[in-house]
Amino acid sequence: MATYKEAPLATRPKTLDPAEYFNLSPDYRRAEEKRAALRAQLKRQYLQQLNNPHRKELIEDPALTRWTYARTNNNYFRPTAKTSLIGGLFGVLPLFVLYVVFKTDRDKREAKIKAGTYERPYNLST
Amino acid sequence: MSAAECQRGKMAALRAGLLTRALTKGKTPAISNIILGTRAASGPSKDTLPGAYPRSPEEMAAAAKKYNMTLEDYKPYPNDGMGYGDYPMLPERSQQERDPWYQWDHPDLRRNWGEPMHWDFDMYIRNRVDTSPSPVEWRTMRNQLLGFVGFMLLMFGLGEMFPCYQPVAPKQYPYSDLYLERGGDPAKEPEPVKNYEI
Repeated sequence: MATYKEAPLATRPKTLDPAEYFNLSPDYRRAEEKRAALRAQLKRQYLQQLNNPHRKELIEDPALTRWTYARTNNNYFRPTAKTSLIGGLFGVLPLFVLYVVFKTDRDKREAKIKAGTYERPYNLST
Repeated sequence: MSAAECQRGKMAALRAGLLTRALTKGKTPAISNIILGTRAASGPSKDTLPGAYPRSPEEMAAAAKKYNMTLEDYKPYPNDGMGYGDYPMLPERSQQERDPWYQWDHPDLRRNWGEPMHWDFDMYIRNRVDTSPSPVEWRTMRNQLLGFVGFMLLMFGLGEMFPCYQPVAPKQYPYSDLYLERGGDPAKEPEPVKNYEI
C-alpha cells in the first residue's frame, strides 16, 4: 500500500489516501463517521424507494430540486459594487465599444470609397 | 402571537378569500392565488429549498441539515450579492475524478441520490470540463503552448513586415507586348518594345 502510485490521469481514491491510515485522531474519525452515517441514510432512503414493488412514479431527488431552484431563481442577487461593476463591464460597455469600433471602421471605408482609393479585398474579377 | 390575533388574522384571510371569489367568479383558481399570494402545496416546501445567506450558527446548522451535509463540511459562498444565497460551496472537482468502480445510484453522473450537487454540476459532468490530473503540470503545458504559438505568430508577423524573396521583374511579352493579341489595330504599326539591353 505504501508503494501505491495513482493511475495516470486519475486522482488518488479516498480509501488509499494516506490521511485515512496515518491521521487517526478522534476528531477526524468522528467527522468521517458522521459523513458515512449521512451517506448511509441517503442510500437507505433511495434503495427503499427503488425496491418498493408498489412504486409507480419517479423517485424525486430533493437535492436536484434544490439545485434547479437555486440556479433558475436568482432571488438572492443584490446590486453591490462588485455585481454592478461586472454587469456594467459585460453588459453595458460592449454596446458602446462595439458601436464606436464599427462606426469608425465603416466611416473610414466610406471615406475611402468616396475618394476612390478603396481596394476591394476579395474582388475576383480583374 | 395571542389567540385573538390568530382569530383576527383568520377572519381577515377568510374575508379576502370571499372577496376574491366574488371578484373572480368563474375564473381559474390561479387568479385568486395571485391575489392572495399563496402557493400550491404540491411542490417542495419552503424549508427544503435554498434560502438566504445564513447569518447565525443556528441558521448554519439548519442549512447544513437541509443540504444533507455535516456542519464542518458546509461552507456557503461569500455573501457578495452574486446570487448564491446559502447554497454550499463544494470542492471544484469534476465527476470524472470520482471512483469509477463504486456502485453509484446514477452511474453515468457518478452521483448518489440526495448528494448535494455542485453549483456548476452541469459543467462538471463527464462530457464536459474535467479536473482530473494531467500527465504534465498544467503550468508547463500552458507555457509550452503559449510559447510555441506566440513564437510562430511573431515570426509570421516579422515575415509580413520584412518580406524576403528572389529578385523579380515585370513579365516581358514578345510581339511588341502582344499588340495584336491585346486587340491592337492590325493596320496601324505598333511602336517597338525593347525588352533587352546590350
